[in-house]
Parts: sequence; C-alpha cells; structure tokens
Amino acid sequence: MTEALPTTTAPESAIPTRELSLTVNGRPCRVVCQDRQLLVEVLREQLRLKGTHIGCLNGDCGACTVELDGKAIKSCLVLAPAAEGSEIITLEGVGPDGGGLDPLQQAFWDNDGFQCGFCVPGQIFAARQLLARTLEPSDAEIREAVAGNICRCTGYQTIIESVRAAAQAIGEGTEGLVPEVDTPA
Amino acid sequence: MTLTPEAPATAAGSPVGRSVRRKDGDLILTGHGAYLDDIEFPGSVLHAALLRSPHPAARILRMDTSAAQARPGVRVVLTGAEAAAATQPIPHFYNPAMVGGRSTDFHPLAVDTVHYAGEPVAAVVAESLHEAQAALRDIVVDYETLPFVLDAEQALAPEAPRVFEGWEDNAVARLPFMEGDATAALAGAPHTLTGEISIQRYQTTPMETRGYVAAWSPDGRLTMHASTQNPHPLRSHLAQVFGIGEHQVRVVATRLGGGFGHKFHSYPEEALVALLARRAGAPVKWLESREESLLVGAREYLHRFEVGFDAEGTILALQDRILANVGALGSSGGWAQAFVAGLTVPGPYKITHYDVEVAVVATHKAPWNGARGFGKESATLMMERVVDLVAQRLRMDPAEVRRRNLIPADAMPYWTAMKHIDSGEYHAVLEEVLEAADYEGQRAEQTTARAHGRLLGIGIGFELAPEGADLAGSLVRGHDTATVRIDRTGGATVLTGVTSPGSGNETGIAQMVAAELGIGVDDVRVVQGDTDLCPYGYGNFSSRSLTVGGAAAVLAARDVRATLAQAGAHLLKTRVEDCSFADGHLIDTASGQRLPLPEVVNAVMTLGGVGLGIDESQLESTRTYSPENVHLVPDEAGRVSVYPSYAYSAHVATVEVDRETGKVTVLSYTGVHDCGTVINPMFVRGQFLGAIAMGIGGALWEESVYGADGRLRSDSLKRYLVPRAPDLPWIETRSRETPSPFALLGVKGGGESGVSGAIGAIANAVNDALLPLGVHVHEMPLSAPRVLRALTDQRIRP
Repeated sequence: MTEALPTTTAPESAIPTRELSLTVNGRPCRVVCQDRQLLVEVLREQLRLKGTHIGCLNGDCGACTVELDGKAIKSCLVLAPAAEGSEIITLEGVGPDGGGLDPLQQAFWDNDGFQCGFCVPGQIFAARQLLARTLEPSDAEIREAVAGNICRCTGYQTIIESVRAAAQAIGEGTEGLVPEVDTPA
Repeated sequence: MTLTPEAPATAAGSPVGRSVRRKDGDLILTGHGAYLDDIEFPGSVLHAALLRSPHPAARILRMDTSAAQARPGVRVVLTGAEAAAATQPIPHFYNPAMVGGRSTDFHPLAVDTVHYAGEPVAAVVAESLHEAQAALRDIVVDYETLPFVLDAEQALAPEAPRVFEGWEDNAVARLPFMEGDATAALAGAPHTLTGEISIQRYQTTPMETRGYVAAWSPDGRLTMHASTQNPHPLRSHLAQVFGIGEHQVRVVATRLGGGFGHKFHSYPEEALVALLARRAGAPVKWLESREESLLVGAREYLHRFEVGFDAEGTILALQDRILANVGALGSSGGWAQAFVAGLTVPGPYKITHYDVEVAVVATHKAPWNGARGFGKESATLMMERVVDLVAQRLRMDPAEVRRRNLIPADAMPYWTAMKHIDSGEYHAVLEEVLEAADYEGQRAEQTTARAHGRLLGIGIGFELAPEGADLAGSLVRGHDTATVRIDRTGGATVLTGVTSPGSGNETGIAQMVAAELGIGVDDVRVVQGDTDLCPYGYGNFSSRSLTVGGAAAVLAARDVRATLAQAGAHLLKTRVEDCSFADGHLIDTASGQRLPLPEVVNAVMTLGGVGLGIDESQLESTRTYSPENVHLVPDEAGRVSVYPSYAYSAHVATVEVDRETGKVTVLSYTGVHDCGTVINPMFVRGQFLGAIAMGIGGALWEESVYGADGRLRSDSLKRYLVPRAPDLPWIETRSRETPSPFALLGVKGGGESGVSGAIGAIANAVNDALLPLGVHVHEMPLSAPRVLRALTDQRIRP
C-alpha cells in the first residue's frame, strides 16, 4: 500500500470492492466484486454461471468445484480477489466449443453417473484431473479421486462406471481428451 | 440416440423395460440444470435470513427489532407475534389427530415459546443476504430459559417438562399394531428371547438444500418457486394459511437436487417466505443453509422386543415396544414414520402372533421430516436382528431361520393386520442373493479368518418395503392424475401431478407414454411441478411416481390412442382392433399399411367428427389412477392396508472389524431386488444402489448428535458424516420381476428399497464379526467409537 492512510473511517455500508481480471471458459472478462466475496459467489452472481452449485459453503461437498489454472478447486474456499488473473473453467466450459458433451460428460450420461445432478461439477472436475494423469485408473483410484465430492443419489458406483467408460473411450483414441490439466505433484 | 449401448433402440421395440438415459442429462452436465437458486427472476429479489433460538426451551419475554430495522439495506423485520397475527396456523402434513394422537398449532415463527434449539423466532428481509444476516445480530431477544428434555424415555416420566403447553404428557400418540394373541403364544413358546436395539437420529442430507422464492403480483396472486416434493399440496397449504382462493396461488417446484423426504412440504419457512414477500412488496428468496438443513431429524427409535420360537427356528410370536423420539413435532409429517415403523412389523415373515406398540414421543429436539425408508428401516433393523438372535440361540445358520419364516410364494397375496402384500418370491430371492454372494464360500472363509483372529462378519438383511402410501385424512393421498396430449407433429406432452426429486421418473413416465403411442421417448415431453400447468397431484413420496403417476399417464395415453385408432381405421379402411402403433406410425396389422402419426393427428384435427366418421375427436385426456390394492375400510377381520405395493430385497454384507480401533470396513456387498415390472432397469439399479449407500451410511456413520445443552452438534458435513466414495464397497446387484397383480403394468415402487435391507445386513454382519468375543452392539450407528467400546467394555451385555 503506497497510498496515505484514510483520515476518516468509512461508513459501515461502504464495502471495499475491486475489479478482477479473469479468463472464464476461455473468455477474458473484467468483473467488479466485493473484497469479501467468494469465488463461487462471483461466478454465480456477477458472471451468472449457475452450473457451479453451493451445497455447504464449507469446502465439504464439492458441488462448487471449478478448474482454476488447471487444478480442480472448491470455489467456496477461495476469496474472489485471490483468483485475480487466473484462468477458470466451470461446468459450462467443459464441453467442446460449439456445444455438446466431451467424452467424460458423455460417459456420465450414458452410464447414469448422476441422478439429481447437483454434485456433477465436483465429480466431473475430479475425474478430469484423474484422467489427465492416467487413462487406466483402478476403481480405488477413482474412488480416491472423487472422495472430496459428496453424492447422495448414486452411492458412487455409477460414477465409477462412468469414469471407467470415459477412460476407455479416451484411451481408444476415438475421442480426443479435452482437458489440458496440470497434474498435482 | 436416447438409449445406452447395452440396450440399443430398435425401431419397433417398446421403450418400456429398456435402460433409456435420463432426460435433460445434457443440460445438467453442462451446468444448465436450473435448480431453484439458479433461476433468474425479473426485478430485484430480496433475501431473507432467519434468527433461530439458541435455547431448546424458553419463553420469549421481549424482542427489540429497532436496531435491525435501522440497518442499511433492511426492508422487513418480522417477529413471531406479527407473523401469527397475519396467518392461519400451518396445516399438518399428517396430523397426529388422524390416528387419535395429540396435536397443536404451529406458526411461521415461534410466538412466545420456543420448543427446540434452532426454531425460527424472527426474520429479516434485506437487499442482500449479507445485510440480512448482519441484521440478525441486532435483534435483541430476552429469553427466560425453561427446563427441557431430549430423551424419549425421560420425556415420558411424569415430572418431565412438557414440550407443549396443556399436554397431559409428552406422548403424541400410542399406536398399537397387533394380530393373534402374542401374550399367549409367547407364554407357550418353547424358547423365548428378549433384547433392545436402538437406531439413531439421522437424516437424508440432499445436496441441494431447501429454498423458496415468493412473489405477490398486483392482482393479489402468490407465486412460489420452491425446492419441494409436493407442489400442489403446498399450494393448498399456502391458500389456507393466507385465507385466499387456491386459484390465487401458483407453486412451481423447480428441478430438485435430491429430495429423499427432506423436501416434503409443511415447513414453517414456506408460509414465512410468502408472508415476508407480502410485507416487503417485492419477491423474497430464502435458502436453507447446510447448518439449518442438518437440524431436520428422522429416526430415533428404541425397540424392546421379546420373541418366542420353537427348536426348528420357527418364530411363533413377537412383541415389540417402540419408543420414537420425534422431537418437537412440527407441522411437517415426519412423526408419521413412527406409525410406519410399527405397521411394517413383522416385515416379510409369517408371524401370526405379534403385538407392537409405538409410543410417539415429543422432545425438545428439532422436528422430523421424511427420510427415505420412512420408518421401515427401523422395523427392518429390529426384525433382522431378531432373526439372527434366534439363529444364534439355536446354533442355526441365519439363512436357514429365514427360510423357515419367510412368507411362502404360494401364500400371496398375504394379509396381515395392516398390510395386504401383493406378491413376492421371497424364498427365491433369498436363495439368489446367497448364491450371488457365494454365501457358503464366504462362511468357509470366515472360519479360516476367525482361526487367525480376524473379526470377519457376514450379515443377511431381508427387507419389505411397503410403497405408495394412501393415508386418508392427510394432505397427500395415494391416487394421482395425468394429462396426455398429442400434437400435430406427432409429439406428446404429459402433464403430471407427480414430481421428480432427481430420480428420473419423468423419463420413466415418458417411456410408458411412448410405448402406448408407439413414438420415441424423445418425442414425449413431461411437465411436472407447476400447479398452473399440471393437474392436482401429490408429488413425490413413497415411491409412487411410476406406480400411480405413470399409470395415470398410461390411461390418458390409451384414451388418445383410441381416438387415433378410430381415425386410422377410417383412413386405412380397416378395423380399429387391427390398428397398432409403433415407430411413429399407425400400422394396420392386417394389411401392413402404415400412416405417419402426424397425418392421423392432422386428420382428426381437420376432419374430426363427422368428416372422419368418428365419434371422438379428443386428442387430449386427463385421467386419475387410484392404486387398486388399498383397503381403507376394515374387512370382516378388521384388517386394512394403506399401502398398495410391496417391493422387497435381500442383502448380504461382509465386514471386518478392526480390533484396535473398532473401525468397520465393508468388504463386499450383494443385493437382489424385486419391485415388480421394471420400466427402466438402469434407473431401478440406480435407486437400489443409492438406497443401499444411504443404508450403509446410516448403519455406520451418519448421526444427528445433540449436546447436553440441547443444541445440535453435527451442524456441518464435517461433523455429520455421510459416506464418500472410498468408504463404500462395490455393490453387486441383481433384480427379479414379480409383477403386482393389482397394479397397472405390474409395477411396484422402487425408490426406497435398499435403505432398510442395508441397515439390517450391516448390523447383522458387524454383530456376527463380534460373535467370537461374546459381545454385541445394539446401539446404532456402528461407528468406530461405539464398536470399540463394545470391544473394550466388560459391562456390555453378552
């Protein structure tokens, strides 16, 4: 902070705000947010990307998962200002340009990998990260990969089947792997 | 393509019985599911936040809202007295008075007395949620705390503080379920055995919490978008609360992110949000936080049982005294699960002398609402442990004791005092699950494992799941209504009174209608949840969506088909009975001539009646289907049956208990399920898998824990432990189809099956693992600390 300290106290209602530069689903954007806002709130409220859901606001459930600079993160655990300059992919941006589903999404649909669909962001981004690392995941690896995401409908089994099917489809080369994901060390 | 690779579409094949993918899957997978909080409303929507009591029992002496009113952005602050003055009491979903129980009035906010920690006492509406939440801190409430009681047994003591003023004691109801002469049969039985088992308070935790957005239009009409399972009953309820015509209310149930009973209507927040919107003169939104959501209770039962049996393992008599701690009752119908817990006994077993009494007890915990299983899980836990205890006493295999007591297939349909069981092949399903699980092989492995000191246990669970409840006198009934119309492009629209919690029943209904009209599943649009569009229906509960909602749609589709067949017969100069429908065509089976369906529809619409030589030009029909196998009027033997449909399933679980930590690991799991005719095998499997996972979660981890101060401790998903993917085993499933002779298409409810059987199987498996140590654990959930206590505590009963 190079500026002089303010001489008067701001009224309680004056909430500090700032402008963020983000690249969301491949498109650069500038967005004004309050300093206290969470990334999930900015995505949903300012950018109107409602595919990122709120299930707990506590980092427990994973429904708010997005990809931030190539890593799956829970966007309720990130203050929006901390995302300045980052590249974000939300569920809306997973599929191929021009619409449709990528092989992973397709596999979730074909294999009944969700029922109510609320937890889908977490499952899809966790699975993307796993498949970027290996196209021959064991069931135990799939279970570990999605462990941060709660699903109350499926009992996870059709999620495992969906990820297996996606790995196979991508591995057979019939479908190009969409995500270019940095794998965690 | 709407079909999975396993079940490819064939042009002429019926879509019924096929694994069709769920409708709107692509929308959901691309983030366009449009759940309640995702919907953009015109104009600015205000936000509500609720102040909740920190005390389980207190009198509200004074409330000062002036500081909150003065805060920036605040538009409305409402107290309980103001809310009660502006509304009629909230109608009960299931009023206990219906079964001779005690009742009381409930209001949107506590008026002068608080009955549980977490009860809403005041509400704030502000321009932003942050402002509303901040203003809650400026509401000053002076409470006079009162004595409270959390335990059902203590609540029945004469000196216990009363939860509700004017009640003689805290018993909501005492419900008897009996047949034969249990006392005499117990006295005459060669062997008897007594025991206790308790099941903890826990809930369903849908990933989307509840929420409501209310708006009043200038003409005085109320529109409420709601994350609810019962839009039409909610409409009736709101009309009653506000004293307005029901036609002046529109409820839109949005896409649900899970229901499981948590979103049955009759919560205080529904009328409250509508009232706040009226006061604010603007739309108001309230979303349940996860912490608020975790307050909702279900299932806290204690069973004290005595069973009489002979040396061959035949169960001769059963007595069960059930205590159900339903919390502070509330207008939501959760307490009725205690009724179902009693009604379900003796489950799938042929026990002709039984005597069950359920004491439904109010305490100062938050009220219950529905939870998948709806009391059946508690009955199943007790029954399945009883069968295993009998086996243990007689040194028989638990599978053999089940063989000797299950209701035989040739006894179906089978009457008990409260159930008319439609059909079932219980013995065959038991044998199938034993074979699929390699039960004999597993027992042999267990012997080896035990010799090495491992605590390996195998448990069987057999579950009866009465479905499609029709409780006369409640706000929801068993019948339902659908409209089917066909359009000029040959597509059909179904308007149905049943709703989907996210299970996919809209796809199932589309399959049923598509099969009747010979069109594709994608050519059928199913509209649910909007009371301005859909016929009055009871929404989603008790696994009824296809058995009644689907059946009503089939009847309506058959009416439409009848018109088309008359027209087609005229156009093709053939007989009506030779007209069939497939592949989007009307086909004359005599000559093989085909007409595209749009041509037939257009002919009716342009030439209908005299021009086409037919009596009926009706291309739209509304039909109500009432389930057949409901008997609300007692027969000559005094028997009734409020459930028409009886799905069942058999389970085998294998677990290992860690001696050092008490941790239970589920090593393998097999389930065989029968819910009659299957419309969509993939969805039925999905329901079964999800229900089993919920059952395992409830058996091992999930628990709504209260502190001695009467406050909920398990108030986040860090403290309320639902299963995550690595916690669960691979679940092997099979299914069998024994159609119900009483249901159109033979369909039975399939949405709950698995919860109860899993609890029974896991409880039996864990206790089987502990058997060599001579201890058992009859206090659920079988979490590591509880099992460890059993492993170390010498005082645990043998």
